[in-house]
Amino acid sequence: MSSQVNGYEGCRVVDMRSDTFTLPSQGMKEAMMAAPLGDDVFQEDPTVIELQNKMATLLEKEAALFVPTGTMGNLICVLNHCRSRGSEVILGNLSHVHIYEQGGISQLGGVHPRTLQNLPDGTFSLEELRKAVRKDDVHMPITELVCIENTHNVAGGRVLPLEWLDQLGSTCRELGLPLHMDGARLMNAAAAMQVPPARIVRDCASVSVCLSKGLGAPVGSVIVGSQEFITKARRLRKVLGGGMRQAGIIAAAGIYALDHVAPTLQRDHAHIKAIAQAVSDLGSKAIFVNLEGVHTNILMLECDLNVLSPTQLCERMGQITDEETERHR
Amino acid sequence: MYWSKRKKSSDVPQLMDVFESEHGQQGRRSHLLGDERPNEEGETSQPQHSSNIKAERGLTPKKKMKIEKDTPIIISEKPGLFSDDECPEESHNLQVQGLNITVGEVRTVSSELILSLDEPTVKEPSQEEMEEEEMDTKFLSGDKKKYVQKFRQFWFKIPEFQGWLAEGDSPYKAFCTVCNRDMRAGKSELQRHCKGAKHIKLMAKHQPLAPISLSEDITTEAGLPQSVTFVDLRSDTVTRPSRAMKNAMLEAAVGDDAFSEDPTVNSLEKKVADMLGKEAALFVPSGTMANLVCVLTHCWGRGSEVIVGDESYMYQKMQGGIAQVGSVHHRIIKNLPDGTFSLDELRSFFQDIDTICPTTTLVCIENTHNRMGGKALPLSWLDELSAICEELNLLLHADGARLINASVALGVPPSRLVARCHSVSLCLNKGLGAPMGSLVVGTQEFITRAAKIRKMLGGVLHQCGMIAAAGIYALDNIVSQLSADHNHARAIAHSVLEEHSSSVTVDMKAFQTNIGFLHCDNIRVDAKKLCQRLQMVTDSEEQEIEEKIIVMMLPITDTVVRFMTHHEVKKDHVKAVAKKLKYVIQEFDNMMFDHYKV
Repeated sequence: MSSQVNGYEGCRVVDMRSDTFTLPSQGMKEAMMAAPLGDDVFQEDPTVIELQNKMATLLEKEAALFVPTGTMGNLICVLNHCRSRGSEVILGNLSHVHIYEQGGISQLGGVHPRTLQNLPDGTFSLEELRKAVRKDDVHMPITELVCIENTHNVAGGRVLPLEWLDQLGSTCRELGLPLHMDGARLMNAAAAMQVPPARIVRDCASVSVCLSKGLGAPVGSVIVGSQEFITKARRLRKVLGGGMRQAGIIAAAGIYALDHVAPTLQRDHAHIKAIAQAVSDLGSKAIFVNLEGVHTNILMLECDLNVLSPTQLCERMGQITDEETERHR
Repeated sequence: MYWSKRKKSSDVPQLMDVFESEHGQQGRRSHLLGDERPNEEGETSQPQHSSNIKAERGLTPKKKMKIEKDTPIIISEKPGLFSDDECPEESHNLQVQGLNITVGEVRTVSSELILSLDEPTVKEPSQEEMEEEEMDTKFLSGDKKKYVQKFRQFWFKIPEFQGWLAEGDSPYKAFCTVCNRDMRAGKSELQRHCKGAKHIKLMAKHQPLAPISLSEDITTEAGLPQSVTFVDLRSDTVTRPSRAMKNAMLEAAVGDDAFSEDPTVNSLEKKVADMLGKEAALFVPSGTMANLVCVLTHCWGRGSEVIVGDESYMYQKMQGGIAQVGSVHHRIIKNLPDGTFSLDELRSFFQDIDTICPTTTLVCIENTHNRMGGKALPLSWLDELSAICEELNLLLHADGARLINASVALGVPPSRLVARCHSVSLCLNKGLGAPMGSLVVGTQEFITRAAKIRKMLGGVLHQCGMIAAAGIYALDNIVSQLSADHNHARAIAHSVLEEHSSSVTVDMKAFQTNIGFLHCDNIRVDAKKLCQRLQMVTDSEEQEIEEKIIVMMLPITDTVVRFMTHHEVKKDHVKAVAKKLKYVIQEFDNMMFDHYKV
């Protein structure tokens, strides 16, 4: 871990850098070890098949596909929808696909990204969307996909409002465009809104859900869509190198996560809200939070740059001073 | 001869056949006792004798069985086994065709002696195998010896043990995968366990260990699967993690590899880098991704080019990924039957090179070469190729999916095979037996850039230390079994050769590693038919070879069937496969073309 920890004896470490740090519990490990296995490239791994069916049923889609990571899940979905030359995807300018995936959709897939301004709540303007859709013009690429992110990472783990999702769904239907949801933390959104996840993704042609984040599995994501979509997605997964063999051993962790960890996500949200409330109650001008923006398990602490920078805050949080321990004795 | 009925388990129907010997002795049930089960202290009263005749009461009607000449008959004098009330008082005095045998004695019985016995449903292992497997002697203090039962492979064939029995941590232990507990390896103990209420309840819920697709041919009329051996030779990727490997996975320390904080992954990467004599390594989910990462990392700039063999996996089986997602152009060079290509042809590609605008050119080799039959590339050729690449300023990548097989076949360390390669991809999920995972190996600078490509492809697994632990276990424990795999492949090929058939042939010289090809003549049989026939079990076949075995191989062309041995295929499987292959080939040879139905 970080070097600040090394000097301190008997200190506790709370790692809140990301929810990808979750380690598998003993129960999850036992489930992994007991799972029946087979070769998933021959589609003979019963545990992977079980996870895929479970996910498809949960999100009320026809089929699902187990992939190693969320990045690959998004990549497969975008490349699967945008198949023709000169295609384009419309997405938010602060979305994970656009900023944190190394432009893979362009680098590997030749897909052009058309960005819309993300509003602070993670949505974008539907009017802007309508204007952004390309006409049949020799200068322009062809719009083939609209991509959204729920919960929205950069916006602070915000949940996209259901009414906006419904409106977006009908707009896309009208425009004849499929809708893909990067649902890396979809289960957090469902827990926060207290609605079934299937309701959230009702209008989406494809969804990518991560099991390795708040759900606590060590590895893995799942993409869901129609049967035809998933059949073609399997080919894309293979070419990208996502065809794993006895993957049931990690799919079992995913199944365990969906059964045992997904119902406890509200607890994570409550914890974050408690921390946010405590910071807000301080009324500090140097570090502040926007309580309305705390929906799920992500907290954004805003720093006044005149006083300190985020890097300094993180460093300080990683240190233990004597006055600090004195005060809390 | 006086016999006694052994205690039967409750779910096996009792047969009430009355034994009539040729001499008219009636009214006694016959049973040749044989199972020297130890009592609670692990002791038996078995006399010190190496070979036994054993039979168990079975479900089929009795059949005559001839006892070989000079075979001693051992009768146990354990009172518990004589629990039948029909046991006459004179049980210690036995009469066989006028022969007087006292219990405890060993006599040679003449070959004319024919006894009527119930035929066992479960095939007993051969005598050598029994000697090997059955008993182990623990020497206690002084001269006292203790016999301890070892786990017997043939228990897997017993119907009531199917679906849950597995070997335990030690040779003296068994394991129930459904209840998740260990027990002593003893048949009575196993039988007791599988009748327990908790076990029955869990079995009802649990998915059995058998593969998903059970062919109709092997079910009885009632639709119940019989005890069949499955040998999957389609690929060495079907290897599943053993219990010991799973234990290693369970105990692994994990962290988030996205932040390079997983200690097990770091240790695996270091281990493999050291093994191949390179600076660093990178863990990726699959071999396809490993090759893709290598190509994309080398071919970083515009106008890069790759040279691949026309029969290489990278060209044939990666869905054109180099071009499709990498946007890298590749040139084809013709592969020769030994997996190499002509170095003169390689040189000829560069005759018109424009020295003012250098482009990156990557040469890719495959060792062992899959489609050419698992060939290990000759060392001399590798050295010559490296020299040419250095001369012409070309980069060299080795697709070493089965590199360790090549190393074992040639008897050189793997680092020697890739000494002058700029990058290597190595698979753990094939013959090495890990459930998934591969590694990219190269210089530190290369690996740093490769990590970026891996991230973009979506190959950064988080807590993958558990899988890396399987890889470490495989490198420590399974590498030593690879030479046995090679021998097994040759043994299977040899069995085909021994038939001297024209319908299915092999080229013995082509067998270097664990991959083998069977060539069909396409007149009596083609590749697809052969594979289909090997997956069926017919009654006459079962009677003839006394095995119920399904063998899965892969047809790769119309006339060529490929098989791959791996560490899950053991010696007795190989023997059974050989028997089946011989029988099937004879069947094809004898068939009348018009009347044969598959």
